[in-house]
Amino acid sequence: MTGRLTFDAIVVGAGPAGVAAALTMARGGLNVIIIERGRFAGAKNLFGGVFYTHALADVLPDYWERKPPFERPVTEQGYWMLSPDSVIRVMHKSERYQKEPADAYTVLRARFDPWFAEQAVAAGALLITRTTVTQLLKDERGRVIGVDTDRPEGKVYAPVVIIAEGVNNLLTQQAGLIASDLPPKYVALAVKQYINLPAKELQARFGLSGPREGVAIDVFGDATLGLPGTGFIYTDQSGISIGVGMLLDEFVTHRLRPYEVLERFKNHPVVRPYLEGGEVREYGAHLIPEMGYDRMPKLAGDGVMVAGDAAGMVDALHREGTNLAITAGKIAGETALAAHQAGDFSAAFLSRYRQSLEGTFVLQDMKQYRRMTDFLESSPQFMGTYVNLLNEAALRYFTAHGIPKRTMEHEILKMVRERRSFTGVAWDMLKLMRAMRG
Amino acid sequence: MSNRHNGQTAPVADIKLPHVNIDDLIVCLKYYVDEENAHIRIKDQAVCAACNPKPCLAFCPAHVFETDRHGRMMVSYQACVECGSCRIACPFRNVDWRLPRGGHGVAYKYG
Repeated sequence: MTGRLTFDAIVVGAGPAGVAAALTMARGGLNVIIIERGRFAGAKNLFGGVFYTHALADVLPDYWERKPPFERPVTEQGYWMLSPDSVIRVMHKSERYQKEPADAYTVLRARFDPWFAEQAVAAGALLITRTTVTQLLKDERGRVIGVDTDRPEGKVYAPVVIIAEGVNNLLTQQAGLIASDLPPKYVALAVKQYINLPAKELQARFGLSGPREGVAIDVFGDATLGLPGTGFIYTDQSGISIGVGMLLDEFVTHRLRPYEVLERFKNHPVVRPYLEGGEVREYGAHLIPEMGYDRMPKLAGDGVMVAGDAAGMVDALHREGTNLAITAGKIAGETALAAHQAGDFSAAFLSRYRQSLEGTFVLQDMKQYRRMTDFLESSPQFMGTYVNLLNEAALRYFTAHGIPKRTMEHEILKMVRERRSFTGVAWDMLKLMRAMRG
Repeated sequence: MSNRHNGQTAPVADIKLPHVNIDDLIVCLKYYVDEENAHIRIKDQAVCAACNPKPCLAFCPAHVFETDRHGRMMVSYQACVECGSCRIACPFRNVDWRLPRGGHGVAYKYG
């Protein structure tokens, strides 16, 4: 037992889930270490760009006074339905998005995550960066008792380990919480570019009145070649986050190069004018776990819990993830605090984590949209056929050819029939409703 | 591989994608390359040689995988952004993928 490096709790990964857990535990008086493989918190992290603040307010009620490095509040948001040469925009802008702190901000993770980690450090957590956890340490009964790292004599011990390792769930598998790797049909691959643009220019292009306004657009249809997936365009302080994401399986099946799909999206006649003259400052890629409620790992074992992407906590339909991660991290942290009080780190005790989480939006939303990934995969026409159809119909509707309107209506209906039978449409709508209602 | 798209969407195979020189994108990324340790290795070159579709040549977002003129699979792990796609999408599970040593690999400036 001599010289064993021991803490009350170990957190693997300094992303939103891990930091929320560490912050909660440190404030509860535990001696906590966060182990992060990047050179700083956030070095390995990338997402589309919209961050929802409600979960942050729960763990850090005074976050606004701590000046989080947000890019822009989201004051206008919605969808573009993009066909090869047209777009239908369904955007929502409201004065009610204007009050700050806002419900949602665009965020760049290499700026935001270090700030969030600092708050945990300020609360007393120890953050160790540049250190990769190589394996979980278990006792003779299989209980997790610590982690080994790639530092010399790098073993660290604690009665409870919170895994917040992200989508590449190597430790979650090692803990026996999930049986195998995520199959490529339940994981999305997203690529993104950060394009620099002077704030004034950006504001003029997107119709923003100043730096306290921002736009978040999710794009369906031609952005992903009509395949299930989305494109996105988010305004940052002085730049644009633009990207595309599709199930990894689609890239494999159709032999698509992700960066070429993105380039095509950037060159779309509707998109290009927004990017004109902008400089690509960064390119990146990340996986998104979209396996859904029914294929999540077990959330707790003896001496171990898992939170965030590693646990598949993503609501792809609403582009939510970091808020699920923060809420889950907080509850995992609270469970660890209770476990210390009870002196019980068994899987049975730690299963309270899941019970609490069932009472929150995290698992309730995941449960509701449990069929979403399967639905999109089995109904690819939603992103292709329907989006094109809507654009065709709009073109007929808005042009005057000297044709009676009744004839035009018939033409539109005929168009629908040609591309998808009415029973096909009815069936699709039924499936969509099932996927939405849970 | 899959025929579920038949008759449902515009034929993706007919869409011509713009050519992108991946090096132009990689160059704007910051890496701390671990020169001594490749964190991605091919388990068995024979498996890659026999793999007909070789989907990794396309789906890898950093174009880490390329065959040389003898048909050997080359791995430019230095350009890897650690997404993990090859770890799970190699049809023969022939990629030995680990996390780079602490502090190494990609370091996003924006993310």
